[in-house]
Amino acid sequence: MKKDVNITIDFAGLKLASPVFTASGTCGYADELADFMDINALGGFITKSITLLPRKGNPTPRVVETDAGMLNAIGLANIGLEQFIKEKIPLLEKMSAAIFVNVAGQKIEEYVQVTAELAKQPAIAGFELNISCPNVAKGGVHFGTDPAGVRRITEEVKKAAADKVLMVKLTPSVTDISVIAEAAVAGGADALSLVNTFTAMAIDTEKRRCVLANRTGGLSGPAIKPMAIYLVNKVYNEVTKKSGIPILGLGGIKNASDAIEFMLAGASAVALGTYNFIQPARAIEIVDGIGEYCRRNGFDNVHQLTGALE
Amino acid sequence: MKKDLVQRKKGVFAARIISNHQFKGRFCRMSLELAGLGAEAFETVTPGQFAEFDLTCASLPSPEDVPVELRDAIERKILLRRPFSFSDVRIEDGRAIIDVLYAVVGAATVRMAGLKPGDEISVLGPLGNGFTIPVKKKLAILLAGGMGAPPIQHLAKVLAAGFKNIEVVTFAGAKSSDDMPFAVSDKNTAIGPAEFPDYGLEMLIATDDGSTGYKGLVTECFRQWLQTCEHKADDTIVFCCGPEAMLASAAKLCEAEGIECQVSMERRMACGTGLCQGCAVECGTGNSGQSVYQMCCKDGPVFDSKEVIFDL
Repeated sequence: MKKDVNITIDFAGLKLASPVFTASGTCGYADELADFMDINALGGFITKSITLLPRKGNPTPRVVETDAGMLNAIGLANIGLEQFIKEKIPLLEKMSAAIFVNVAGQKIEEYVQVTAELAKQPAIAGFELNISCPNVAKGGVHFGTDPAGVRRITEEVKKAAADKVLMVKLTPSVTDISVIAEAAVAGGADALSLVNTFTAMAIDTEKRRCVLANRTGGLSGPAIKPMAIYLVNKVYNEVTKKSGIPILGLGGIKNASDAIEFMLAGASAVALGTYNFIQPARAIEIVDGIGEYCRRNGFDNVHQLTGALE
Repeated sequence: MKKDLVQRKKGVFAARIISNHQFKGRFCRMSLELAGLGAEAFETVTPGQFAEFDLTCASLPSPEDVPVELRDAIERKILLRRPFSFSDVRIEDGRAIIDVLYAVVGAATVRMAGLKPGDEISVLGPLGNGFTIPVKKKLAILLAGGMGAPPIQHLAKVLAAGFKNIEVVTFAGAKSSDDMPFAVSDKNTAIGPAEFPDYGLEMLIATDDGSTGYKGLVTECFRQWLQTCEHKADDTIVFCCGPEAMLASAAKLCEAEGIECQVSMERRMACGTGLCQGCAVECGTGNSGQSVYQMCCKDGPVFDSKEVIFDL
């Protein structure tokens, strides 16, 4: 890449090498993806959800392909806070990308306890508050659909981790996403990430049963991209543009063109999710592709793309 | 299963189709060739390992060439890679040649069947752990059920070529002769399906309907055979790949007899690399009564049968 385009960005006070993240739940704890690419070229890396205690997750089938997408119902399977600190932090410490830990729980106190403990770790740049997981019986998306609840959980977690960046991940499965975004900002969110998966279902017609053991799952992949772009643009125009809060845009991105669509719609950075499964080095190719686009279109700084929709 | 001590190279490689043909009913055989780094990565493949193929670029056949029951399914736009084990991997002139045996059953394999020699696809692999061959055993029993045959064929070849001190007996089962993913000799005998690689190994066939070989389940055929077997349980190992009910049945039998047994599991996978956590296999943790989910793609697909809590 030529030096003429600046692809570094400022994201809620963090200086990032590029505007490309890998999305929570699609990139493990970093060691899995390191087999395929130089993860240091990433702007940010978001871990799989961490809960206070280890979680086995849901029974199988947990994944199924649908038209231009897939459903997952993993159920926040993770190794738990203690083992995460012991085993994974040493790996994450070596990475130059900004590390965000996705935090989930069943009660506000659990979110607070996990973030307070992890806030002591210098390797962690920030948190992504998962109040939008559709695949668990308690917590998850239930936190993310009530504006007063969103504001309260954001405030409580921010208090527990005041010197880290707090990003709140929004569910698209609400009547008006801007109301929820507004509540997160009022609660002290430093950034918003949107969107999480859409709650969805697939049925095996021969067995007349849901394909997923959990019955419902979260839809991701190219199928959701146009909806995700619309929601990013809506939140950008109605909430974040005036407050200067950055958006991490995600939902069905597979290449640099998709990433640029999100940025033009109002995202300051983007995250690659489902496509990590198909092309595990794609996130880095997107970094190059965005730089190339900027050069071709006369942008000397990648942040100029944010909200540049005519 | 012990973690493999050797750190293998894996990656995303271009593979060129050498041949691809339907040889019996819905069953097809494809050979692919990898050069350079891909050849290096696949040179050390262990039977039971697998790769993820990107078939999104393969085009759909015309509707009249598609079985009626698949005509709706194939219209779905596919996205994810598909996992395939190998029936053989060999090195020729510095290139890795991979043989894949597959059945046309859905949107991806319909496209796969249309690939022509010279076409290229993206292959991610090699993935998973593969079977572990304990050198001190004197008898290896191989059990293949239905489409579980390919990695067992690969294992049979490796055992026959490199482990002369281990006697090998193979069992293959299916619902009927038509469901055997290889041609079966028309003599209707228990020995010698023409296309199961002839590695000079003893071979027994079982079909549920008795259309070829023993009439009944392959595990029942194996159980009866075991009664006549003169090897000690400690000197014996069983390797299985097939439907979960068959694996569970083999595991139960082996546990009762005190025989070590490795099973190759199958799960729906999105990535094959441990990223998505989709392909969970429930495993016990010693005597605690607790269980954990291990990943079929990364911790498996081969597990010690005593660890697995089968999903029946």
